[in-house]
Amino acid sequence: MICWSCQKQAGAGPLCAACGALQPPDDAADLFAVLGLPARFAVDLAAGEAAYKDLSRQVHPDRYATADPRARRASLSRTVQLNQAWRTIKDPVRRAEYLLTRAGIDIGGKQPTPGSDEKRTVEVGAPPAFLMEILEQNDELAAARRAGDTVKIAFMAEEMRGRARESMKAIGAGLDTGVRAQLEEAARELVALRYYQRFIEQASGDEAKLEGGGGAG
Amino acid sequence: MAEALFQIAEPGESRAKHACRTRAVGIDLGTTNSLVAIVDAGRPTALADEQGSAMVPSVVHYAGDGAVVVGEDARDRLAAEFPRDTIGSVKRFMGRGRRDAEATRKLTPYRFADDGQGASGEGVVRFAVAGGRAVTPLEVSAEILRVLRARAEEALAGPLQGAVITVPAYFDDGQRQATRDAGRLAGLEVLRLLNEPTAAALAYGLDKQAEGTFAVFDLGGGTFDVSILKLEEGVFEVKSTGGDSALGGDDFDRAIAEALLARTSGVDASDPRVVRHVLDAARALKETLTTETEAAIDVALAPGQATKLRLTRDEMEALVAPVLQRCAPPLKRAMADARVERGHLSGVILVGGATRMPLVRRFVEEWFGQKPLADIDPDEVVALGAAIQADMLAGGAGHDDVLLLDVVPLSLGLETMGGVAEKLIHRNTTVPCGAKQEFTTFADKQTGFDLHVVQGERELVAECRSLARFTLKGIPPMPAGMARLEVTFMVDADGILRVSAREETTGKEAAIEVKPSYGLTDDEVEKMILDSFAHAEDDVKARLLAEQRVEANGIVAAARAAMRDAPELLDVGERAEIERALGGVEAARDGSDHHAIRLAIEVLDHASKPFATRRMNRALEQGFRGRDVDAVDAKLGGR
Repeated sequence: MICWSCQKQAGAGPLCAACGALQPPDDAADLFAVLGLPARFAVDLAAGEAAYKDLSRQVHPDRYATADPRARRASLSRTVQLNQAWRTIKDPVRRAEYLLTRAGIDIGGKQPTPGSDEKRTVEVGAPPAFLMEILEQNDELAAARRAGDTVKIAFMAEEMRGRARESMKAIGAGLDTGVRAQLEEAARELVALRYYQRFIEQASGDEAKLEGGGGAG
Repeated sequence: MAEALFQIAEPGESRAKHACRTRAVGIDLGTTNSLVAIVDAGRPTALADEQGSAMVPSVVHYAGDGAVVVGEDARDRLAAEFPRDTIGSVKRFMGRGRRDAEATRKLTPYRFADDGQGASGEGVVRFAVAGGRAVTPLEVSAEILRVLRARAEEALAGPLQGAVITVPAYFDDGQRQATRDAGRLAGLEVLRLLNEPTAAALAYGLDKQAEGTFAVFDLGGGTFDVSILKLEEGVFEVKSTGGDSALGGDDFDRAIAEALLARTSGVDASDPRVVRHVLDAARALKETLTTETEAAIDVALAPGQATKLRLTRDEMEALVAPVLQRCAPPLKRAMADARVERGHLSGVILVGGATRMPLVRRFVEEWFGQKPLADIDPDEVVALGAAIQADMLAGGAGHDDVLLLDVVPLSLGLETMGGVAEKLIHRNTTVPCGAKQEFTTFADKQTGFDLHVVQGERELVAECRSLARFTLKGIPPMPAGMARLEVTFMVDADGILRVSAREETTGKEAAIEVKPSYGLTDDEVEKMILDSFAHAEDDVKARLLAEQRVEANGIVAAARAAMRDAPELLDVGERAEIERALGGVEAARDGSDHHAIRLAIEVLDHASKPFATRRMNRALEQGFRGRDVDAVDAKLGGR
């Protein structure tokens, strides 16, 4: 990379090795590499947070509020990338999704295309038997909601949280083996986990609504 | 404060460096009051006027002759006389549309201008004020900012480097844009929009060297915010934020006013003066009841007739409690989003004038299970924090370790098929942040694409706030599904969204047309700013002239009334001299030089002084005969 400011070789860091000007990020950079972490599921979160804060202090727009517009743009895109990296890595589900994407396994675009009714493309899908079971659970939850049975809702949510925890453990173990078949198994588990999470969200929402008299709006 | 700033920053550094201060200011643009603060010798200080008051009432009066009056005079005198031309609580209208709740209220002293789109128009709110003018909330706010800017420029004896303006954390994109544009219109370089609870935490964190997880409970005149922050080694990390940008002391006043009106018979609630009087009375009673257990006030609800309104603290609390309860759901959600238990908070910080109310303090203490902190004046703490941030951004010394990590308050998304809002950026994501979304065409040779950007947590677009409609144009004609449009959302450190788009297969940047749903377009704002620059000097002169003319008219009328009232106190020579001076004032008034009017008024003052003194003495001898004479005497004698 040639520095925008001094036209010399900028080097690999955020700041130009020759003149110290802040350089724009490499948009294709690996998010683990952005934080200087090895690309694996079992990460040292404390080290990640420390790196995140150190780098933020260097590149944050607050440091460049009155700088040259090019340095300000570099600061903004650097910080966007840094925030995205930390947000992805600190959360286990997002971390797992990212590791699978890196390995070339498509577990479905997270967002459908606006303006079209194109269904989500899922290469690694959930088995029909699993989907049936989730549908039944959803019906049961809906019945409990109609009956205002908060105890039942809380119980179902807690059970699902247990399954989600187990699922997360299996995903983590599979991801760090580096074996293709294990990665694909982790991907299927991750699809299942999304259903668990949606269920838990729905159940917590129902609980809050029933308890708060519908206040949360 | 200076010590605290030192220890966090550079322990070995000399104090001398702080003496070299930056020229950046922090501004709290509040619903009820606004303040400006600077960092001086390492210490944030709110700037006060000659009377020692740091708070400028956020009230703007537009006179028929083009003069604009901001502050106490507008609030205390002009609002009662010209309720429609005197705008208060304008913050609640910022970035809001004509169909929003605030603009469709029954109990309002204002009149809204038709923007040509009819009553159902979705356009910007415009207040119809004296002189046939229609002003937007953005312009009204800019008037307040101009006064603060002038105060700061006087204190710093020169122009400003820039300003940090605070906004409620829960302000959406439209409200933020309107605030930033108001700053630009007032001639300020807006360095940053800072969330009010974060500003308060910054002031507390640096002053009290607080560490741990804190909740900031910010209940102001018009907005409620709650932010959960982690303070650690100079890093202020917002974990979550929640609130209601239309909940505050004004709503308490309104609840009280409605009850007072319901209790009083034969009152015309459609008369804007009555509305203004009752709202003012409600506010005055509420403020008295902060320290007293009962209060009463005389209000002129019908011409020449004073009605005594009484209220006890218990009655008031019963009226206000249901409004206060609206704080509970946002509090609960903010705590859940931050994944913090109530018992694990290191402290709860109180911000905003409404937190002075004993009822609010009890509510906070009960909800959090701990006594809240109010060591720093809750009216000033936000401006002080903003001043620290401004100093930091402008390169002031001693902030190298300080880092503010704030979040997006409300999810940002796009409308998809079936009117469903698809979230691209979720609430409580650390800013700045971005997201990309790919689109394709669904018809052959389709060259345009409509996008609808929304903000909010609800599933349906209709229940979210519409931010803007974009039309992507210039897509090369291709079979359906072949085009690859990449739309990028980017939220900057001010919490403001920018959208860009590119057609990937050809690398063509798609043209974007922005139609803000409830705001002014960039072009409209640019035009306002250019107009204000072009007329800046004229404006100042025109304003001074208008003000002097108003004063001249008042004085001439008062002097003539006094001469008619007490001709026996004047000898012929004196009368001739006063008449000459009066003629001078009238001639100057009809000219266009405000200095000349000022001078003529001074001549008249001088000429009429002995007469005024004699009248005053006689009035004292006879005992006070009535308020009218007092008023005239005060006018003549007080010069």
